[in-house]
Amino acid sequence: MKVVLGLHLHQPWRLARFRYLDIGSDRPYFDEDHNLALFREISQRSYRPALGILERTLRDEAEFRLALSLSGVWLEQARRAEPELLNLLESMARTGRLSLLAETFHHSLAFLLPPPELQEQVDLHRKALWETFSRESTVLRLTELAYSDDLARFAASQGFLGMVAEGWDTWLKGRSPNHLFASSVAPELRVLLRNYRLSDDIGFRFSARDWSEYPLTAEKFSRWISRSDGEVVSLFLDFETFGEHHRAETGILDFLGELPRAVLRETGLEWASLEEALRLPVRGHLSHPKVLTWADRSRDLGAWLGNDLQISAFEALKKVGTLVRLAGDRDLLETWRRLTTSDHLYYMYLGGDRQDAEVHRHFSSYSSPFDAYANFMNVLTDLRQRAQAALDRGHPKPRGGKRAARPSMTPPDAGRPFRGTAP
Amino acid sequence: MVGWEFPPFHSGGLGVHCYELTRELGRLGHRITFVTPFEGPFHPVEGVQFRSPPRPRRGRSPPASYDLGRLTPRERRNLLERYNDWIAGLEGPGDYDLIHVHDWFGTVGSSRLARRWRIPFVMTVHSTELDRSLDHPDREIWEREMVGLRSSDLIIAVSRHLAQELQDRYGVPEEKIRVVYNAVRPSARVRHSLRAEQTVLYLGRLTLMKNVETFLRAAARVAPLVPGARFIVAGDGPEYPRLRDLAQHLGLSERVVFLGHVSDEERAVLLATASVFVLPSVVEPFGIAALEALVSGLPTIVSKTSGVAEVANAIFAVDFWDTEEFASRTAELLLYPTLRRVMGEAAREEALRDGWPERARETARVYAEALAARGRTL
Repeated sequence: MKVVLGLHLHQPWRLARFRYLDIGSDRPYFDEDHNLALFREISQRSYRPALGILERTLRDEAEFRLALSLSGVWLEQARRAEPELLNLLESMARTGRLSLLAETFHHSLAFLLPPPELQEQVDLHRKALWETFSRESTVLRLTELAYSDDLARFAASQGFLGMVAEGWDTWLKGRSPNHLFASSVAPELRVLLRNYRLSDDIGFRFSARDWSEYPLTAEKFSRWISRSDGEVVSLFLDFETFGEHHRAETGILDFLGELPRAVLRETGLEWASLEEALRLPVRGHLSHPKVLTWADRSRDLGAWLGNDLQISAFEALKKVGTLVRLAGDRDLLETWRRLTTSDHLYYMYLGGDRQDAEVHRHFSSYSSPFDAYANFMNVLTDLRQRAQAALDRGHPKPRGGKRAARPSMTPPDAGRPFRGTAP
Repeated sequence: MVGWEFPPFHSGGLGVHCYELTRELGRLGHRITFVTPFEGPFHPVEGVQFRSPPRPRRGRSPPASYDLGRLTPRERRNLLERYNDWIAGLEGPGDYDLIHVHDWFGTVGSSRLARRWRIPFVMTVHSTELDRSLDHPDREIWEREMVGLRSSDLIIAVSRHLAQELQDRYGVPEEKIRVVYNAVRPSARVRHSLRAEQTVLYLGRLTLMKNVETFLRAAARVAPLVPGARFIVAGDGPEYPRLRDLAQHLGLSERVVFLGHVSDEERAVLLATASVFVLPSVVEPFGIAALEALVSGLPTIVSKTSGVAEVANAIFAVDFWDTEEFASRTAELLLYPTLRRVMGEAAREEALRDGWPERARETARVYAEALAARGRTL
């Protein structure tokens, strides 16, 4: 039985309070100092100690393998806030036992935006990984593990060998997630499924004192893995599980330090890199027409596009995106892309399910989803005005005083329901 | 229960509070004698009987007004002393378990009565004299307030903010205070599409503490951005002439309407048809009008120093001095219709969650606690 450990590192560029009355002023959208301070805080509790543990283990333990997905905006902030983290990551990459996952640079829902946004954001990320680590990724994971048939086709068309998706029961219909699958619409693309039960034992339940299995030790957990059926158990977790969601006092960092060797002590268990896992025999084909994610209990896009605030904000984002592209200003485009980061929509989640709502609030920098929406819309309104101004500069008014004809502002997919973008 | 006003007579929210609270406590099986200086007839409440002092042999009676501000200092002192002496001399204890007094009016008599009857004494504070007077307290009122705060077994504050103020400015120990929020009765659900598009409402007394000036200054910032916006100031009070002049000075004569005093019916119409509600008070121990707005599904902006901000998530809370932020929040609600609709719906749903029945149960728990501290049960 092979074991894959994949950890995800991401921090959004959070918006500063941008009042309606700030529209038209030159006030910056992002408070860089605040974002970097927050980054350092989380780093102190999580990134630095946990990456330290993993780096040492990768160097000392030849049989350990690790996969990381680093969002581009995380890399940007790490470079400015804590460049030592990049040294650690480079050292990990040099062991040859670290796989890097591809994703959208801005950790966005670009797969719902008009093409070629998805491809460009994935390319930006590839470029960033190449420049930082001189490494190519062969496996794609999209924001919150989004997966659909359209996205599988896209991944295959971009030359990826595999994608990671959520091993969700209702999808698998009795099949185990502990096998390697292929996409039924793009049979050459492998699909590695997250074992959410085992992943959540660490991610959600590790420090729950009312859990019957509390406390969870690395030995016990490795035993559970070894008793699982199938050929591969994929554990995919938010990196902040280690030190942030579960603080160091819970013993989570010790758990992380002990897990690699505890797994190796179990007979029949071995760590596998993504590439090694993808070489397993394919045990079946999977199809999922709609988008499946790893988020919340409904495993859909409800966390980002589940209410009218989110839908309205996303529609506005699309429209402004079209205008920004027409304006052809690179700075405006990069600013707009930072707004595509999915966290901005996540902050507008209204809840409905108490447990999920708790998780959402924990990550929000706003006082409420309404605050998040108003602020985001103010920024979009300002950006639209700036794009419009840039466009007007590029299309000066003819002498007669009438405005020059401008390309239509309606995005190509206006009115179409949300769907993955086929290449 | 020792109070002051009671419906149908009232000058503020205290009477309504006592009415709703006694009604729900009655439903929970408690029997209540409601004590007020005035004669009825009051709205009947099951399980509640009313008692008031006999008419004095001499002098004017009953008092001409429930509004103490309209009495001469001498009339006021006579009224208060007569009321408190009468309370202190009530026959009993009979089967009374506890005395519950609201605000400062009957604290002196209640305190004496509680000592004589050897039963616990709980005081609800709705607002403080220091706040109401913006730090220029009426000495007599302040003293009566202090008697209640010192001699009561437990104190109920209508918000955490007020509880904090009682600790900081009145020296009440934290362990003596419990927080029980206000509630309002559910109002009819009004479809969002029936609301006016761009009407901003202030509803309340026009006093310095209410900070209506910030409402007007924010209106002056919003007006040019939202050409269709209208601003309504509903209520009267000592600040009225100054505010009217200010509106004129800010060039808002065409945009602001001063309604003066509004009836309950008009109040309901305003809450049902406005698009945004603003309560910018410097200090607002609770802010019942804002809770009424939330219940009617009206998106609401309050100052951070309002107690109601503690019970509502679907609300914008702003520093009371931050005119730009009040203006921005108002513009956002006026110009983003999705925000207005979704926030209004969420506000209503949230505000309906805890009504008077829940608040009465919380109050009864405070009674039980006060009794338990003396080794008794209800």
